[in-house]
This record gives sequence, structure tokens and C-alpha cells, in this order.
Amino acid sequence: MSTPRDASGRMPGVAEIRAVPAAAWRRACLDAHAHGERFGGLFSHLPASGPPRLRAVFSTPAGERLITCEATEGAVETIVDVIPAAGWDEREAHDLHAISFIGHEPLRPLIDHHAPLEAWTVPTVGEDVHQVAVGPIHAGVIESGHFRFHVVGERILHLDVRLSYKRRGLETAAAGRSLGDGIAYAQRACAACAVTNTVAYAQACEAALGLQPDDHLRRARTVLLELERVYNHLNDISAICAGVGFAPGAMAYAALKERAQRLNERLAWHRFLFDTVSVGRSAISFDRQEAADARRELAAIGQEHQLVWRDLRFVSSLQERLEGVATLSAADAERLGAVGPAARASGLRDDHRIHSPHLSYSGFSVAVAEAASGDVAARTNQRALELHQSLELLDDLLTQPLEPGTVRRCGEEASTAVGRVESPRGVTVCVVVREGDRLAALHLRTGSYANWPVLAHAVVGELLPDFPLINKSFELCYACADR
Amino acid sequence: MFVLLNHLQRLRRATPPSPVRARGSLAVRHVDAGSCNGCEHELAAATNPFYDLQQYGLNVVASPRHADVLLVTGAITTRMAGPLRTAYEAMPEPRLVAALGDCALGCNLLGDQAELAGPLEAILPVDLRIPGCPPTPKAIAQALTAALHRLATD
Ligand code: SF4
Repeated sequence: MSTPRDASGRMPGVAEIRAVPAAAWRRACLDAHAHGERFGGLFSHLPASGPPRLRAVFSTPAGERLITCEATEGAVETIVDVIPAAGWDEREAHDLHAISFIGHEPLRPLIDHHAPLEAWTVPTVGEDVHQVAVGPIHAGVIESGHFRFHVVGERILHLDVRLSYKRRGLETAAAGRSLGDGIAYAQRACAACAVTNTVAYAQACEAALGLQPDDHLRRARTVLLELERVYNHLNDISAICAGVGFAPGAMAYAALKERAQRLNERLAWHRFLFDTVSVGRSAISFDRQEAADARRELAAIGQEHQLVWRDLRFVSSLQERLEGVATLSAADAERLGAVGPAARASGLRDDHRIHSPHLSYSGFSVAVAEAASGDVAARTNQRALELHQSLELLDDLLTQPLEPGTVRRCGEEASTAVGRVESPRGVTVCVVVREGDRLAALHLRTGSYANWPVLAHAVVGELLPDFPLINKSFELCYACADR
Repeated sequence: MFVLLNHLQRLRRATPPSPVRARGSLAVRHVDAGSCNGCEHELAAATNPFYDLQQYGLNVVASPRHADVLLVTGAITTRMAGPLRTAYEAMPEPRLVAALGDCALGCNLLGDQAELAGPLEAILPVDLRIPGCPPTPKAIAQALTAALHRLATD
């Protein structure tokens, strides 16, 4: 199977690099945006010598574009007024490498935890307005992060999200490692997105090395990605039921998730599919018998899900709690750069699986419900819709045994490449910059990172006690965003 | 609703009961001090209908003030070391600390030294160690029920 090249003859994933002086940064980014290229992240990086470097990723149907500049004066003009999705990226770059974004005012600290409260929260004043601080340690078995709600009574006026409590500095630590070893850092970012993050990393490395996966490798990675989606979506439906205290639904889906994870373990020796992805080869294979067993178990999970799901549809005490809560309009989803099931539940036909030539998604079409109303109910239904789709995909992918896959050479080597993979939470972007066989820089912008500001927007006007439910309907990872 | 409850009942019957019977109880407070979220998933799974930690007297409680055991996951980031100590100090005595997962145990840690304060042992006295990356819900359930059993028979 040959890989389609873009108009310029580049391999998918290899970025066209446009280096501009700091003064032309904004112009270059806005030009890309004006040409319909989609923003995929803005990263700062401090090389061993010289000023900090900025990189912005844009994608077109034809390929990847990377706009880079050296922040020689420590400042560039902001792009956030035109591309609001870059808000967190600019705040993070400022905290990490003291780069100012002129016009982004106030440039509130995002990951700098030494900043005083007034600096990182939005002043919200008025009669009876008060703040409610939650976290970093939460009441349940939940990841650590801090939320500052500005409320009147129970009504949320504004939410400031402060994450990074789990910041392990994985990207910094990965720099200097070999390309092969670097994958461990991408995997460690998040267990629930381990396959996505490692496939995105492997794809970026392979593109940079001029390699492309063979059919076995494509199929292996697609199977792993869909297995990851299945257990995550089952988990999310369970969590949404738990969010309104509906224990029978929460437990039924927790049990289904357990079955899916046991299947993961049988097929790939790990409940979260750790260590199943490597650069340049596949780490899993299965024979006809194993594939048939897996298909049978997935069919059983699908049947059970249908049964329980149908039952849930008639539990009015559940459904009425989901409808009309935290509605995200399609326009807001688009403007804020929402991704994944959350974006599709608002009606955006956006799923990176249709642009994945290095995976086995031929014939895939984006699933969006007719009534994509953008509320918690729509996000719940979207999970069920995609679950059905993933189970069908897996049923198809598992009709044959899987042999160990490999890669073959098909193009020039490049210094910089981008991997993009649709995770259970939305598209994840991984940028790899290499020097020989070493990583010069690794950047990971996951679906969760893109959606956290969207969540903060969606809760405005909602009730504080509904926050856990709304949060679960997005089900974002903290670990992925913190890295 | 009827189908749902029936389904759970079937599941419950199909799951073999643990040989350890409940004697006493332990209230567990979990703190994520910089995990990859794998340990959290598995701790939560230990309360699903297959493992059902609650029936052995093990409950995850909302506040450290109600807890007997502080169950810590993750690499212990510099940013979480403070909140972790605060949670520990809020607990009534006697109190136990459990390290859940290889990260909390200090095995195979990845990250930038400047961001990490761990392992857990460097911060708090550790009484119970549950290895694994992540430990399976079964291993978690066994380790916690065994600890409860030891305490009850001491
Ligand atoms: S022990 Fe493994 S699963 Fe647990 S937090 Fe560490 S890396 Fe994640």
C-alpha cells in the first residue's frame, strides 16, 4: 500500500517548516489560519544555547506546517485574539520560558504555582459573588487539580482551572534520549491515552526517519487504538452515571469496562495496553484463534452494552439530569478549538481518523448524532454511538490473524515531524524534533489539553453541584495535560 | 431498570467471593501525587462488581479526617508534596500510609528531577507497599484486605 504524498511531495507527518523572525510570527500564524489551516498547538522550547524557540503547528488536508521563530527579544505578538485555542499554550510558554505575548492581556499564569491568586484568576465582582476553591485533592478517586469557582449562590459565573500539580517534566526529561527510548516518556504521560500518545510519537519518529508502516503494523496500531477507545468510552458512561448518583448504571458499565480491560490483557498482556507500541515495529501479534476469541468477547460486550443502554434510556431520573446541562454550541466548540467526542456532540464533523493514512481506517466516516445538542446528554450519547462504531471496526479488523509488522523506507529523513492521532478524548498532536537519532525536543498536546478551556467555558451559568457531572461528560485527563 | 438490576445480580452471583471475610473496616483516603492515572483507574476498578472492595470493609472516604489509611499514587511531584503532607497531618492517629504502584515506590520513575520530590518514602513513613504498574485491581484488593486482616488479628 503506498502512502499518498501531499502536493509538495512530502511524506505525511513531515512538517513543512517556515522559520520567521519574531516580528513576523503573528503574521505567519494568522496567514496559515486565514488559509483554513487548523491550529494544532503552540510550544516553546529552550535549546542548549540561544534564545527560546517557539513552534506553532498547523494542519491542512495536504499536510503539516510548522511555523518557528526565535524569541530573540523575549516577546512576540499574540495570536489569541484570532485563535482563542492558543490561550493556554501562550500562558504556558510565558510561565516556562518568560516569553511575552504582546496583546494577550492580562497574560495570566497557568502553570506557575507561585503566582498570587489575583494574578491567575479572573476578577469577578458583584453582589454576593464569592469564590469556592476545590482541590488539588478531591473527594473521590480522582486526579489532582485545582478549580476556583466564582459563584453567586449555586450559579457558576466563572471558573479558573489550575492544573500542573502532576507536572513531571516528561518532555524536558525526554530531550537527549534516543528516539526509541523516548516513547516511554510519551507513554508515561497518561495511562488512559497510552496507546494514542505512543502511536502519535511513533508516527512522528517514523515520518522523521523517512519510514512508513506496513499493513500489519497499521492494523496492529488501529486495533490497539480502538481497544483503548472501547474501555475508555465504557468508563466514561459509567462515570456519567456515577456523576448523578445512578449506581446501577455506573456499576453495569464499570463491569463492562473490566471485561474490556481483561480482554486487553489477554490480547496484549496489559490492561492498559502498555508497551504495545514501538518505533518502527509492532509489539503485538495474534493467531486466528486469539483473534476469533477476541471477536467473540467484543461481541458479547457489545450485546451487554446494548441491553444496558436500552434500559438506561428509560430511566427518567437519569435522563432528565443530563438534558440541557452545560450546552456547548457548535460555534463555541469551533471557536475554542474543541476536539473529540465533546466537539462531535456539538455537531462538529471532526474526527482525525478520517485523515490517518498510516492507520487502517479506510472507509471510516465520522459519527455524529442527528440531535447533537451539545449538552451532557449529547456527550453521553456520542460515547454510545462511537462505542458501537469502534466495536464494528474491531470486529472487522479481527477477522484475520495479525503478523508482526514492520516499516519500510519510503522517503527522505527530516529533522521535524508531527504525529496526530484521535484519542478517546480528541486529536492528540505530537511534535518530534531530532538531532541524529536523539530527541532534541518532544511536544505533546493531547485532546484533554485542547478541551480543558472548553470545559471551563461550558460550565458558565451552570450549577456548582452539577460540576462533577459536567466534568465527567468531558472526562479529561489531568495527567495528559500536566505531562 | 429491571434488566439492569437483574444484570448486576447475575454478575454478583458469577463472581467468586474472596476467602477473606470482613472483620472490622478500614477507611481509605486516596491522594494522587503525580500519577499517570493508571493507578487511579485500577483503584476505582477495585470497587467494581468484580472485586467489590466495600464488602470487605474497605471504603474510600472523602476526607483525610475520616481516614485510617492514606493511599498514595504517583511519582510525588514537587507541586503535590505540600498538599500530600497537609492531608497526612489532617488524619487522626493511628494512621497508615500505603504506596500504590511503582511510581510511589520510586521504581522506574521518569521525569525531570526538578519536578520530582518522590519517592513517597522520602516524604512520609510508608507502612504498606503495593507494587505494579499499575497494580491490578485484584492485587490492590488482596493487599488491602490482607492489611485489614493483619490489623484485625494483631
Ligand atoms: S505506577 Fe505505573 S500506572 Fe501507576 S502512576 Fe506510575 S506509571 Fe502510572
